[in-house]
Amino acid sequence: MSDDWLTGPILEQLSSGVLVVDEEFQLVYLNTFLQRHSSVQLTEAKGKSLFKVFADLPEAWLRRKFASVLELQSPSFSSWEQRQYVIKLPHLRPVTSSSQYMAQNCTMLPLNNPSGRRHVCMLIEDATDAFVYQQHLQTTLQKLEQSNRVDGLTQALNRRYWEEQLKLEVQRAQRYQQPLSLLLFDLDKFKQLNDQYGHLGGDSVLIELTARVRGLLRDTDWFGRYGGEEFGIVLTNTALAGAMEVAERICLAVSSKAVTFNEHSIQSSISVGVAQLDAAGERAHEVLIGQADMALYNAKREGRNRVVSYSAGETEFQLKTN
Amino acid sequence: MALPVLICDDSLLARKQVRKSLPESFDADILTAANGVEALTILRSQEIGLVFLDLTMPELDGIGVLEAIKQDGLDCFVIVISADIQPEMQKRVTELGALAFIHKPVNPEKLVVILKHYGLI
Amino acid sequence: MSTVFSEEQRDCLQELINVAMGLASDKLARFLNTFVHIQVPAIELVNSAQIPAQFEAQYSSAEAALVSQGFLGNDGLRGEAIVLYQLENAHRIAALLGYDTDNASELEMLTDISSILTTTFLNGLAEQIDNSLSYSAPRVLSSRHNNMTEALIETACHWELALRVDISYQLIHHSFNCDMLLLIPGEAVLNIQQILDRIVEEY
Repeated sequence: MSDDWLTGPILEQLSSGVLVVDEEFQLVYLNTFLQRHSSVQLTEAKGKSLFKVFADLPEAWLRRKFASVLELQSPSFSSWEQRQYVIKLPHLRPVTSSSQYMAQNCTMLPLNNPSGRRHVCMLIEDATDAFVYQQHLQTTLQKLEQSNRVDGLTQALNRRYWEEQLKLEVQRAQRYQQPLSLLLFDLDKFKQLNDQYGHLGGDSVLIELTARVRGLLRDTDWFGRYGGEEFGIVLTNTALAGAMEVAERICLAVSSKAVTFNEHSIQSSISVGVAQLDAAGERAHEVLIGQADMALYNAKREGRNRVVSYSAGETEFQLKTN
Repeated sequence: MALPVLICDDSLLARKQVRKSLPESFDADILTAANGVEALTILRSQEIGLVFLDLTMPELDGIGVLEAIKQDGLDCFVIVISADIQPEMQKRVTELGALAFIHKPVNPEKLVVILKHYGLI
Repeated sequence: MSTVFSEEQRDCLQELINVAMGLASDKLARFLNTFVHIQVPAIELVNSAQIPAQFEAQYSSAEAALVSQGFLGNDGLRGEAIVLYQLENAHRIAALLGYDTDNASELEMLTDISSILTTTFLNGLAEQIDNSLSYSAPRVLSSRHNNMTEALIETACHWELALRVDISYQLIHHSFNCDMLLLIPGEAVLNIQQILDRIVEEY
């Protein structure tokens, strides 16, 4: 006894769409799921072009997909992650999401009718749940990243968290009368590097160089990404002389060895500004940053690839006149 | 009188398949070669009436053998049997003097048609 | 566990693959309207654990891609087919398939090409052994953003044996290389050996 009696009820109850077109892309079959979701009756759609029945289809793309199925007699696939839907249908989920349309996973299969004529059968699976779930996950991850402490690319601390730590360390140093120094460094001619090697190249350089720098620091130091190509290091329990040594070491670590990116050998260097905590009061950390920044500016001005320390008493006014 | 036949293919299975596809009525003395170099050695040293030739072989491929046969003016029929069946390839081997082109896996009925057509059986 | 195919089984498998490639290349040639030459110099049976090391050198740059697709047939024939290639190569064939190679559709392009290469080849293989296969949707395991080796290790460890098929596709104006790995579980290997023996015996 054949199983034909099964297929009717199953196709009717299936919570996936089934659609069949012939070689000319004329509709041959549309199951109940699709009929209901699209408010199209099979009786009126049969024999008509698929692209006339469903007005909003990505026609060129779909024709190409169908063509490959027909000619190669191999299946073809479409995932909601690459293309949210093929047929624009409203979804029936109670959950709110950014889209009111059903997310779909499609499988296109070669099919021959009894006379041997080639057809394509498209199975449409409702993937809206997965779509909605992924959106929630994305939002959660974004929030997490914001509350996170680390800069995704370089694994250095992100600016916000680093500055918080700087503030705390400054307070601690003041309280216990311990020396504290700050290094601010900046990749020389980074814009040119990006232009020449692309952002991927720039990123590679940042990743490698920050790894090198990290290797030279102690667990008690705070290494953060201050800006695009700007970084800061808080050296606890360190006076200016010691900080200068660290700065020189870092400077050399960067300039002495090129970074390999694809087949390129990229030479780079940094300019470093160093300052020791001097001020008192609640805004001491801001003063410290300002001083290190001034020293960094001088390092750039004096030719880059070098370390310059902040000279006590120097002010911006003096810089301008020099 | 038995016709000397050379089956040339680097695959043992393929050689067996060709052998098995030959009709019972075909009176043939079968020799085999696993690559183009071996094939030419045989072809140059004795009379071979018919060659079944694969295209993709190490040392010297089917095209190389066809070219050598043409150049040496060797007198034998060549039927190319290959996995690669594109029109371009078929055209090429025909220009180099191949009698016919069969694609793998060999269909014994089609082979008989060809052999009859050229009066080999 | 090391599973070794006998010389005869190997030869048989190699021939089946050659023919499958011939059938696939013919289909592709007609579809792409160009001359396609597919070369399969040799197949290699390796222990899955060895795979990552082998591919690391060749594909270690960030510009490689890895697409996986499961296949399932009768008589316990099943496994995972992985296609590995350099992204710049993928762009060439994508252009041939009529894709606009902007980044948004890169994933789509990768899965389509891989699916076509995998299914035409495996269908050709199945045809010869009187089997038929169904496929799962192709997934990108790794592309320009991810680490290829990790993905490969994670996948390979689920399977016992790997059949490495180095495929070189040559189209009339371009040529590009990609590697295909067929990962097969232990039980399927036994089935395949039986199938090969049966074929060898037929002749």
